Parts: sequence; structure tokens; C-alpha cells
Amino acid sequence: MPLQAYLVLAALVFAIGLFGVLTRRNAVGILLGIELMLNAVNINLVSFARFRADVGGLVFTMFTIAITVAEVAVGLAIIIAIFRARRTIEADHLDLLRG
Amino acid sequence: MLLGSPTLALVVLALPAASFLLIGLIRPLRRRGRGAAAVSIAAMGAALAVAVAMWQRARPVLDGPPPNPSATWSWLPADGGPMATVGVMVDGLPLAMCVLVTFISFLVQVYSYAYLHDEPAPSLGRYYAYQSLFAFSMLGLVLAPGFLQMFVFWELVGLCSYLLIGFWYDRPSAARAAVKAFWITKLGDLGFVAGIAMLWAATGTFDFWTLFGMVDAGTLAAVAGLPTIMFLIYLGAVGKSAQFPLHVWLPDAMEGPTPVSALIHAATMVTAGVYMVARAFPLFALAPDVLTLVAWVGAGTALLAATMACVEADIKRVLAYSTVSQLGYMMAAAGAGDPQASVSHLLTHGVFKALLFLGAGVVIHVFHTNDMFRMGGLFGRLPWTGVAFLVATLALAGIPPFPGFFSKEAILGAVLDGGFTGPFVLLAVTSFLTAFYMFRAVFLVFFGRPQAHADAHVPLAMDGVCRLLAAVTVIYGLVLAFRAHHGEAPAWLPWASMLVAVAGIALAWAMYQRGAIEPARLASALAPVDFMARRRYGLDALYAGLYRGVLLALSALVGWVDRYLVDGVLNVLSAASLRAGDTLRRLQTGQPQDYVYGVAFGVLLLLVWAHVGSR
Amino acid sequence: MTAEVVGFWLVGAVLVVGSLGVVLSRNLFHAAVLYLPIALVATGAIFWLLESPFLFGVQLLLYAGGVVTIVVFAIMLTERLVGASIRQSSRFVFNGAVLAAAVFVGVTGFVVQRAVPSAPPPPAGEQMVLLGRALVGPFGVALQLLAVLLVVALLGALYFARTED
Repeated sequence: MPLQAYLVLAALVFAIGLFGVLTRRNAVGILLGIELMLNAVNINLVSFARFRADVGGLVFTMFTIAITVAEVAVGLAIIIAIFRARRTIEADHLDLLRG
Repeated sequence: MLLGSPTLALVVLALPAASFLLIGLIRPLRRRGRGAAAVSIAAMGAALAVAVAMWQRARPVLDGPPPNPSATWSWLPADGGPMATVGVMVDGLPLAMCVLVTFISFLVQVYSYAYLHDEPAPSLGRYYAYQSLFAFSMLGLVLAPGFLQMFVFWELVGLCSYLLIGFWYDRPSAARAAVKAFWITKLGDLGFVAGIAMLWAATGTFDFWTLFGMVDAGTLAAVAGLPTIMFLIYLGAVGKSAQFPLHVWLPDAMEGPTPVSALIHAATMVTAGVYMVARAFPLFALAPDVLTLVAWVGAGTALLAATMACVEADIKRVLAYSTVSQLGYMMAAAGAGDPQASVSHLLTHGVFKALLFLGAGVVIHVFHTNDMFRMGGLFGRLPWTGVAFLVATLALAGIPPFPGFFSKEAILGAVLDGGFTGPFVLLAVTSFLTAFYMFRAVFLVFFGRPQAHADAHVPLAMDGVCRLLAAVTVIYGLVLAFRAHHGEAPAWLPWASMLVAVAGIALAWAMYQRGAIEPARLASALAPVDFMARRRYGLDALYAGLYRGVLLALSALVGWVDRYLVDGVLNVLSAASLRAGDTLRRLQTGQPQDYVYGVAFGVLLLLVWAHVGSR
Repeated sequence: MTAEVVGFWLVGAVLVVGSLGVVLSRNLFHAAVLYLPIALVATGAIFWLLESPFLFGVQLLLYAGGVVTIVVFAIMLTERLVGASIRQSSRFVFNGAVLAAAVFVGVTGFVVQRAVPSAPPPPAGEQMVLLGRALVGPFGVALQLLAVLLVVALLGALYFARTED
């Protein structure tokens, strides 16, 4: 399969993840969308690693996965903290930054 | 021509200036009142002595071309010689004026010391500061060698007039009168300064001597628009010397203390206009139409003011209108082509009008009122005051051997000689009225039934000054009687003028002393004149209405512009910012996903840009 | 039709279906426990197809195992499971769809413009060896920093999630 196929697939998954981030009400749902976006990025990286015979892509992917895991942990901890404070995690209700 | 010493002239100028600076700057001195008075009177006395000495030592230049009588120093530098100079001009005219100004100023300052006895000390100090400043300004004006310096001192004199008229500034009427005097004379000054500027633009100089030289050489006559220029310059005199229609400030100026009226509204400041016309007469002679106007306006003013004096009850107002009338006489003489007659009357009038005002001050002090109908019988109580007043009144009415007769006759002769029969008739009628209203005043105040309340104690300073002035008047009259007069006037003129004056006195005697003719009946017989005279011919009302109308309209306009345009612009700007802010605020929803929308949109834009850029 | 091509299309379809399920499912639990692992495993399969079996393993372990577990815990702690169902509704679906589609089109537009590399070059050596050497070699500092990051993340998560005593 040519490189573009993988890249287009990754773009598609990215777009789907973006859609999820934009439309989900629940904060955890938003986080799932972010996961998908990161996944798509990983697909991109590995494709390039393959098609350029460059192992740096793989290293980068590993880093990304590790960091994503850390980010998910912290993010969900924040969500739990918010839930404790406000008894809701619906993004619509978290508008303290409103101008 | 007479030539004096510039050095002495500078000393005369410097003495009151020094007095003013001392009193003005040293606050403890001013606050002490009497100390300030002492400084000012001493300076004035010294100035008088120097002025008299200067006059005595002036030597006439008989043969050869007349030298330049001015001594000047450069003031405003410019390429090719200074643009303006300051200095002194010491020929005959300024010398005589110096003596008059210093003499009357000195007497008035001495008189004021007693008249303002009840004034609190700091106020008295302020008064003497103003008096010194005025003396300095007036001397600077008469000694000016050119139009620019004259104008500067002209304005300074106007300022002093404002300060002194409004001396009792907590009286609303005095404050109003001071402002009115300032405004009305300012109207004339507008013309004056325009004329001076135009003259300078045409000739390149302010200096009198240079201008006189240009007149002799014939180059000045070639200046285009010279009549217009001279008319504008004359306007300054109209304002300052209270010619119609800018005469309305002088009667109101009586709100000031009586010695002030004697000094500046009889003898010195108001004569500045006449002085200016006489000084610049060679220039005026090149504009005969302007001179004709001067003569007619002068004669008209004389008659107008005389009619208004006939119906006044306030003694100071009678004298004020009398001053306006006599100023008209002086201007008429100048307009007829004889500035010497004009100046001669200026000098005699200065002496006896000052005496009249100071005498009126005594009268007011005695009766505690200005209203003549509440006075009477003073001659019995204060005979010497009565005599002094009578001397001055006879001088004003034009009875020989008092000085007024000679100077008035010179004026009438000049007017007749110049062929101005219309003004001559007006002036003749005015002579009749002058004698009438002055003796009306005399009969009402000094004769008739004595009033109950009268404080017959007169301070020595006031009384002594009056007696001294009376003596000077008499001596002056005798000097004039013996001096050789250029007798071009017809032989019937002195007799005719005497007859007219006696007729006026007789009418006043008949009406007010004998009661033979009822004043009310005469007034109703001359109803239209009486009506207009009592309302001052509507001029005051006209000016007030114009002033108010113009000022209010202008203020309303400016206010509208300020509120709707200036503030409006600001309000619109601020409202627009607020509204823009409110609109933009809706972007900050606080919803995190909306911000993600923003980020995604930005990414989209970047993609589009990269797309476009890569083509 | 090589095996790779068939595999690509198959795995790709599964991946897309799984992703759609994650974002469109009404039930959050379904989204997190069913569809997300499907998507993640499918991604791992893609890695296999791209000749990185190691990454396939890493993906399964960390993502499909770890992340899913954490998400499940989070859902448990923040929704009232007893009684109310974990229902979801979405906001402004149309706008989001349009924007996402626009981004997809934009990226794809770039991608298809480029010249196609004909065939993948052969790998330079044993992949694991290369990877290991890279990790401790040029990317050594990055590796250490990653370790620090993980510790910090751990501490942060602990701090945020602690109960107030």
C-alpha cells in the first residue's frame, strides 16, 4: 500500500477524533476523542518510519504513547477533582472562564 | 518750538514708576496704607518739581530747522534698524502735559489721603499703588515719541482706569462700571491698533518725528488709504475721549472715588484722545474728510451731553456729562484745524474741572449724598468752598477773566474760521446749556434752604487743595488774559459768547433760585428732548442689549458645539468601544470546546494558507 | 491483491468503525470499553502491517490495557451508575462534523499532492536492535526526561485525585 493510504487513514481517524472532541458533552468523552487523535498521529509516525527506513519515527511513537498514558492519568485525575468540586463533568457547565 | 531735557523727562517718568514698584512689591509697605500714601505723594511731588523745572528750563529753538525733540532707544530689533523704539519726546506739547498731569496727580493724591480716611490700610495702599501706576502710564503716554509706545501706555492707562473705577470692587455697580469702561474703550482701541498697524505697513515707522518729516516731504500724502488709516486711529480717541457713540462709559465711571474722577475722568486720561489728535495733527491734516467728521462728532457730542446734564440729579453725573461735552469742544477745535485751541482748552479744563470734582467731593462728604435735590444752603456754612466752586463754575461757563473764557473763545473762533458753521451753532447752544446746568448745580447745592443734616467739618487736605486749585485757576485766567492771542476771531465773538453764558446763568437763576419758572413746566414744554435726555438717548440700553444678545448667542453656540460636537465625538467613540467590547465578549463563552473550535479553525486557516502558498 | 493490501483495507475499516463508535455512541461505557479498545487494537494491527511488531505489543499493553482501565475507573468515579444510565448527548453535531470534515479535506489535499515513493526501502537492520540503540544513544536524554515526566505525572495525578482530609 502506498504511503498516502496510511496517511489518509490517519487523517480520517484524526478527523473523527476531532469531531468527538468538539461534540461530546461529557469530559471523559472529550478525552476519548483526544485519544483517537493521538492514535492517528502515531499511525502517521510509524508509516513514515517504515517508508523512510528511519527508526526515529518508532522512537517518537514510543515517546508519544508513554506521554499519552501520563496525560490520560493526570487528565482523569483532574476530572475527578472537578467532579468532587462541582458534582458535574458536563463541559457545558464548566464555564468559569466565561467573559 | 520748545525743547526740553530728555534726562529730566526720564526722571519725571521714573519717579512714579519707582513709587509703584516700591508700593507694589513691598507688601508690608502697602499694607501699612499711610506709608504707601507717603511714598506715592512724595514721588509725585518730586515729579511735579522736576516737570516744572523741565518746563522752565526749556529753551525755544528760534532759527534753523527744528531738531528732533525725541530721544529714543531701540526696543524691537529688526534688520535695517529697530522696528520699534521707546523713549521720550520733549517739545512744547508734552512738556505742558507733563506739568498738568503731575500737578493734578499730586493734588489729587493729597486730597485722597483725607477723602479715603475711612478706608482700611491695605486698601489704601492698593489705591496709592494704582495712582502711581496711573501717573507713570499717563506720563509715558504724553512723552511717547511714537505710536507704538503711545499705544502701550494708552492700554496701560485704560487698565488703571478699570482698576480705579472698580476700586471698591465689592460693589456690583462699580464692578460693572469698570468692565463697561474697559469694553467700550476697547472698541475704540480696536480701530486704533488697526490704524497704527496699517500706518506702519504703509510707512515702516511708528515714530512721530519721522512721520512729520514724511508729511513735510510730501511722501506721506501719497500713501493709499490714508483717510481710512487716520479714521481708524481717530476711533481710539472716540473711545478714550468719550465721543458719541462711545461716550456711555464716562457717566458710569463715576462709581469710582471722587478724586479718581477728578484725575482721570476730567483732567488726564480722557484727554489722551484729544492729546493724540493734537500730537498727530500733521497726519490728520492730510485727511480733511476725517477732520470734518471729527469736528461734527465733537460738536454733536458736546450738545448731546449738555442736554443730558440738564436733567441729572446726581452732582457727579452732571460733571461727567459736562466733561463729555467739553471733550467734544476740544475735538471740534481740532477738527476745525486748530489743535492749539484744542490743547489750550484741554489745559484750562483740566484745572477747573478737577477743581469742580474735588469740590463736589467736599460737597458729597458734607451731605453724605450725591443727590443735588437733597442739598442746599452750603454757602453759608462753607463760604470758601463755595467760592472755589463758583470760580470753577464761572471758568466752565466761560466768563472772563477766568481761563475757560479764553480757551472756549479760541475754540469757537477756530470753528468759525474753519468754515464749520453747523458745529459753531451747536457749540454756541452748548455754551448756553453749559452755563445753565452748571449754575443749576450751584444754586441747588450752595443756595436755597439749608438741609438739616450736614457735616460741616471739612478736612484740611481737601479744603486746602480746593483753595489752591481755585487760586491757580484765577492766576491762569489772568495769564491768559495778558498773553498775546492770535486774534483772527471776529470782534463780536467774545461779546456773543459772554452774552450766551450770562443768558444761561440767568435762566438757571430764574428757575432754581427764584423759582420764577417751574422746572417741570419747562421740561414738559421741551418734552421730546427731556424724554430722550432722561433715557440717555437709548444708547446704554442699545449697548447692553447688543452685548447681552451677542454674548448669549455666542455662548449658546459654543455651548452647543461643545456639548454635541466635542463631547459627542467622545461619547460616540466610547460608546462604540463599549459596544465592540460587548460584542467581542460573546466570544469568550468559557466552554472549553468552543476554544477547541477556535484552534481547529486556526489550523484550517493555516492549511488553506499553506495550500495557497505552495502553488 | 497482496495480503498487505487486503489486511490494510480490513484493518482500516475496523479502525474507522471503532473510531466512529467511540465518538458517536450514546452510552459512554460502551464507547470506552467496547469501541475504544477495538480502535486501539486495530491501530496496533496497522503497526503490525507496517512491520513494527514491537509497537503492536506496546500499543496493546499501554493503550488497550492501561488507558482503557484508567478511563473506566474515571467513568465509575464520576457518574452515578446506580439508577441513572450513562447517557450522552452531543452538542452542535453539524458544526463539529463540518469542521472535522474540513480539516480532513485539508490534510488529505496536502497528502495526495506529494509524489509517491515507489516502494519502501529495505530496513537498515534488525528493528529491535536499532530501536534499542536509538533509545540509549541519540535519544538517551529524551528517555531520561520521559522518565521524569512519568514521575511528575504520577505525583500530579496523586495530588489531584486525593481526598481532602
